[in-house]
Amino acid sequence: MAGVVAAPAGQAGLAAAPARGLPADSTPWLLLAPATLALVILFLLPIGYVLLLSVTDPAVSIAHYRRIFSVPLYTRVLFNTFTTALTVTGVCLLLGYPVAYVMARRSDWVSTALLICVAVCFWTGFIVRTYAWLVILGNKGPVVAVYQAFGFGAPPRLLFTTFSSILGMVHILLPYMVLALYSVMKKIDPNLLRASASLGARPAASFRAVYLPLTLPGVVNGSILVFTICLGFFITPILLGTPKDMMISQLINQQIEELLAWGFASAVAVVLLVATSIVLAVYNRFAGLDRLWG
Amino acid sequence: MTQFKRLSRRQLIRATGASAAFVAAPQILRQTAEAQEQTLFVNTWGGSWTAAEETAYFKPFTEKTGIKVRTVAPVSFAKLKAQVQSKVYEWDVSNAGVVEYSQAVVEGLLEPVDKSIVDPAKFPPGNVVDYGVAGVSLGTCLVYRKDKFPNGGPQSWADFWDVKKFPGNRSLYNRSFTNLAFALLADGVPADKLYPMDLDRAFKKLDQIKPHIKVWWTQGNQSQQLIQDGEVDMIAMWNARAQEMIDRGSPFQIVWNGAENYGGYWYVPKGAPRAKLAFQFLEFVSQPKPQADFVNILPYGPPHPKAFDFISKETASKMPTAPDNLRVSHVPDANWLAPRLPEIRERFSQWLAS
Repeated sequence: MAGVVAAPAGQAGLAAAPARGLPADSTPWLLLAPATLALVILFLLPIGYVLLLSVTDPAVSIAHYRRIFSVPLYTRVLFNTFTTALTVTGVCLLLGYPVAYVMARRSDWVSTALLICVAVCFWTGFIVRTYAWLVILGNKGPVVAVYQAFGFGAPPRLLFTTFSSILGMVHILLPYMVLALYSVMKKIDPNLLRASASLGARPAASFRAVYLPLTLPGVVNGSILVFTICLGFFITPILLGTPKDMMISQLINQQIEELLAWGFASAVAVVLLVATSIVLAVYNRFAGLDRLWG
Repeated sequence: MTQFKRLSRRQLIRATGASAAFVAAPQILRQTAEAQEQTLFVNTWGGSWTAAEETAYFKPFTEKTGIKVRTVAPVSFAKLKAQVQSKVYEWDVSNAGVVEYSQAVVEGLLEPVDKSIVDPAKFPPGNVVDYGVAGVSLGTCLVYRKDKFPNGGPQSWADFWDVKKFPGNRSLYNRSFTNLAFALLADGVPADKLYPMDLDRAFKKLDQIKPHIKVWWTQGNQSQQLIQDGEVDMIAMWNARAQEMIDRGSPFQIVWNGAENYGGYWYVPKGAPRAKLAFQFLEFVSQPKPQADFVNILPYGPPHPKAFDFISKETASKMPTAPDNLRVSHVPDANWLAPRLPEIRERFSQWLAS
């Protein structure tokens, strides 16, 4: 915000006072400096340190990386982390798109009510929401009660399955998807749809040819947001899932907190970072990350 | 216009600096004041644990010495390493389980006990060690629902493994060495022959029970919810957590036979600036009376035998260090475990995930 406001003032100031000894084209760099500095200090340096730790702690070697790729546990859990994150992103997109669509297209109480629901969900702690699922799907919960009230007998096992783990994560991440989609959909001019209708497009064709392409930035934005946050999850799968649903951050956490093996934990983190970058690079190749900003 | 904007920019910088100083000032002043008053920062678990410490340890300690105690929660073992490496100390005292304590000693993260402040000769053997003093211990016990087993429930880990005789959902604590010891006990290994551990035998025995374990819990309140809601009928859980719910009327039975008695130590991070105050605190919590005050609130096991002078017989029977309970329990061999823990943890995680 401050940078945006200061920009014209800075340019005007330099133009009016050329004697200050700064080349005119340095202004954008000066304006970028605080953000760059913050990024370097808060982001690049720590990542560089993690990278360094992974090959120097406790001794200079690439043994950590060799261990990650020779012990089946790590590659298996890494693979599971990515497939889980992809599944959660896909489900969030399928569930979130219609909700965001209704929120954006209607301007009456329905839209407000939905927005409040999403916001309340968004601001409730994820631990609380995870424990709520333990109650809802649990032995004494409403799902089992309804099931038995209809005389279906013993309900299928819902809790402590991959299903409940995915369900919990979708519930936590859905608001991110809905809000990302909503912010883009809200900006779409309704006249564009009227125009396409006036030119003879049926609603489905109109949606496919006009609306959907215009919402793609929101789809990209929401998917990346959900996908990357999901990669770092581990409490929800621990509480709701099975040991097979283990996420890689759980192993990193174990190495740091229980074993004080920071070098090895760093190596796992670096592998996760590289794998994430590859996925995003592939995504960029086909979808274009520049759409992120609309 | 230009002139005005440029001026305001400088003013802005000046104002920012001034307000930063203004915001930081109370912090700096407070720190100075605390240094004069002598304040000790203790790393603790939070919740009912910290509340009990407040009553049993912190308040009486401040009354006796004038040293104020401030708490930082939750306990973080990784923070210990971070503090020692960065030489920036957030707290001066913390506690850890015997296995973590041994790991920390191996890694050189602890300050040796100042024997001029804590004299080992004044305490029972084993209560004051090279880098810490013994804290309360925690029992991990077999707990079952009495309403699910009206004709008597499982009485040993062999019974826990016997899914025909004692059908029902089960849960175990997701800690590698705890389960390995239980598996060996179930397989008939006597408690005093658990170490050195036959890992292959233990994992083979764990294979048998794995399909029947509904949840491998990781957090204390999770274990309570699992058995309270009837998600599982028997579970390995911490004695104090089970006792808390029994006292509230839950139909649970704690089986001490085969329990793991997991002790811990109070310690001071290496190079901590207020180490002198910290060791005064360690000396205080090694006394029988404060230990009794603590375990009278939460039924953990006091390491000082004289603490039982201040504890009723009934309360004592709920504690892992009560003689009857201790006799049927086992203690993890920290010296054997600590150097092997990375391999054991990895193997256990892999076993769980496959």
